[in-house]
Amino acid sequence: MSFLIDLTVSGLAIGALYGLIAMGFAVIYKATGLVNFAQGEMTMIVAYLAWTIATTLTGNVFVVVAGAVIGAAVLGLAIERIVMRPMLGEPLFAGVMVTVALAVILRSSITFIWDAYPHALDLGVGRDVLRAGGLSLRGAQVAAIVTLLGLLAGFYVFFRFSKFGIAMRAVAADDRAALLMGVSAARIHALAWAASSVIAGIGGVLFAMVYDLSPAMFALGLKGFPATILGGLDSVLGSGVAGLIIGVTENLAGGYLTPGMKDIAGFLMIIVVLMVRPFGLFGEREIVRV
Amino acid sequence: MLHALKAAALAAIAGLALTQAAAAAEQGFTDSEITVGEINPYTGPPALLGVAHAQGVKLAFAEANAEGGINGRKIKLITEDDGYVPSRTLQAVRKFADVDKVFALMGVSGAAQSTAALPLIEKTGLPTIISVAPMPVQWTPPRKNIFVLGQAYEEGVRQLINYLADKNPGKKWALVTQDDDYGLAVRDGFQAAAKEKKLNVVFTSTYKKGQTDFSSEMLRLKESGAEMFMAGGIISENVAMMKELEKLNVKPVTGIFWPGRIEALLKLIGPASDGLYAVDYVEPLASPAGKAFVDKAKTLLGDEAKGINRYTEVGYAAGRLLVDAIKRCGKDLTRACTIAELEKTKDLATGVMAPISFGPGNRFSSQVVKIMRANHGDLSFVPVD
Repeated sequence: MSFLIDLTVSGLAIGALYGLIAMGFAVIYKATGLVNFAQGEMTMIVAYLAWTIATTLTGNVFVVVAGAVIGAAVLGLAIERIVMRPMLGEPLFAGVMVTVALAVILRSSITFIWDAYPHALDLGVGRDVLRAGGLSLRGAQVAAIVTLLGLLAGFYVFFRFSKFGIAMRAVAADDRAALLMGVSAARIHALAWAASSVIAGIGGVLFAMVYDLSPAMFALGLKGFPATILGGLDSVLGSGVAGLIIGVTENLAGGYLTPGMKDIAGFLMIIVVLMVRPFGLFGEREIVRV
Repeated sequence: MLHALKAAALAAIAGLALTQAAAAAEQGFTDSEITVGEINPYTGPPALLGVAHAQGVKLAFAEANAEGGINGRKIKLITEDDGYVPSRTLQAVRKFADVDKVFALMGVSGAAQSTAALPLIEKTGLPTIISVAPMPVQWTPPRKNIFVLGQAYEEGVRQLINYLADKNPGKKWALVTQDDDYGLAVRDGFQAAAKEKKLNVVFTSTYKKGQTDFSSEMLRLKESGAEMFMAGGIISENVAMMKELEKLNVKPVTGIFWPGRIEALLKLIGPASDGLYAVDYVEPLASPAGKAFVDKAKTLLGDEAKGINRYTEVGYAAGRLLVDAIKRCGKDLTRACTIAELEKTKDLATGVMAPISFGPGNRFSSQVVKIMRANHGDLSFVPVD
């Protein structure tokens, strides 16, 4: 029994990180209709920014986190303004291809700007092992779960009650109608890119605190994306929850089945779920008037 | 008449082709300079080995140039990034042979990459030293122009496991390896030792390259009661596995393999790295020979010496090997002479590994391996008795 609980808890810990990245995917999709294939790379860049602040300016956890959040927002805004806004009005596929190109550029920038060595992101907290009732997690893993739950609650309130949240939903539903109602789609897009970068960036920083930084970190995007598909591309909250589901499923498969199943268990689940609910577990069914 | 004309034209074309082939055969140097090409990954995670290896080759060349060059010619290294992708390795070999027209080839990237490029390298006739990822297929059968420096992965792992088994008889063993050719080589070496020493292997697993979370694998290892563990990852994977074991409060005697035997690994793992066993054929940087190497690198490379690791030593040995062979050819440099002199290499001392030797029909300089133990206190590896 304790083996099952251990697998579940550590699955929740890694799943929370997947969930944060998945939410980043969903925020952009919800506002722009685009799948951002550079999400994993943006996550990695923010983690490297945090490491740079920690090793060159100060290791104070609050300063590093604040710096990373600001850096992430600036990164998201810069990408939206410089790379994505000129693509407005172009076919959706062209926009998606631009994010693929962006991913390659950001990935290569790591060895140009930093180096290929793995680095520890040591902020003095988060790396210690916390033990309770036979369970053990690192501080940053607990922080990842708490952050995900906090963001899920925050986004629920944001989409339901805030002006920007409602505007974002309006743009996602029908950008032309939203424009006619005085909503600036460009501003909503910019906000979505910044928010997505910050959410995924927080995930990246927490990931680096647990597993260290390396140029291979971009692969986190490949873990977060299935969670977005499972939760529903247009469901920010659903994507976060689906991250937890994927994390636990992977761990249970790794614990009880053959080694190769760990990698494919999440994808198998996606195939099954999409066959029943093509719009994801929490996504909205698209109704087309004929 | 028409036949005669055709024959003349064909002869002319054949003659031109032969002239060009002869000219190509002796390209890659002038009266003042020799150009050598190196193919390795210089971007992405494997850049850790590629960049360090190139530093080592540059160091060997800088040393030769500081002494006035090789028979009056300065030696220069140009590099091509294959990104650890076999198809790009092939492109790089073609570019070096046809466009840059280098004199010799170094590297050549990882095991899968160099193996894929073997037929093409053989066809180019370029004197080639493979030193990054030695695999038996590279020297069996021997190819005239391809020389391999180091030790086979399987043999290295076999010796490490044999050593640990002798020191820890009757223990339960676990093995986790990557799901690629590297992992397969580690697994083969482990299984050879397991058969030899009749090991009680209670847990084996594989992981997909790039995996970061090893919680389920390490929980299974804990459940299996394993007391000995071969961590078959490279760097990040071994760090993740060791930290997961630390989290679970499990402390098996653990061995790692040389691609991940870099001092930075110990810092990343933290105190749990103390007592890790490793195997390698190059000197640890903390040994007297290693320290002398670091000093030399700092003197000749300056700021570039930052971040050197075992691959820098490997690159240096390979560079010294080539320089030594070219030197013995004298002023009348040819590729054929260089290949002949590489073959004649006997007991070449580089200071960073055992003396290097080749011979007729022998294209593999089999290096003696050492078992080492990690000391987290000063982030070093120390050879054990």
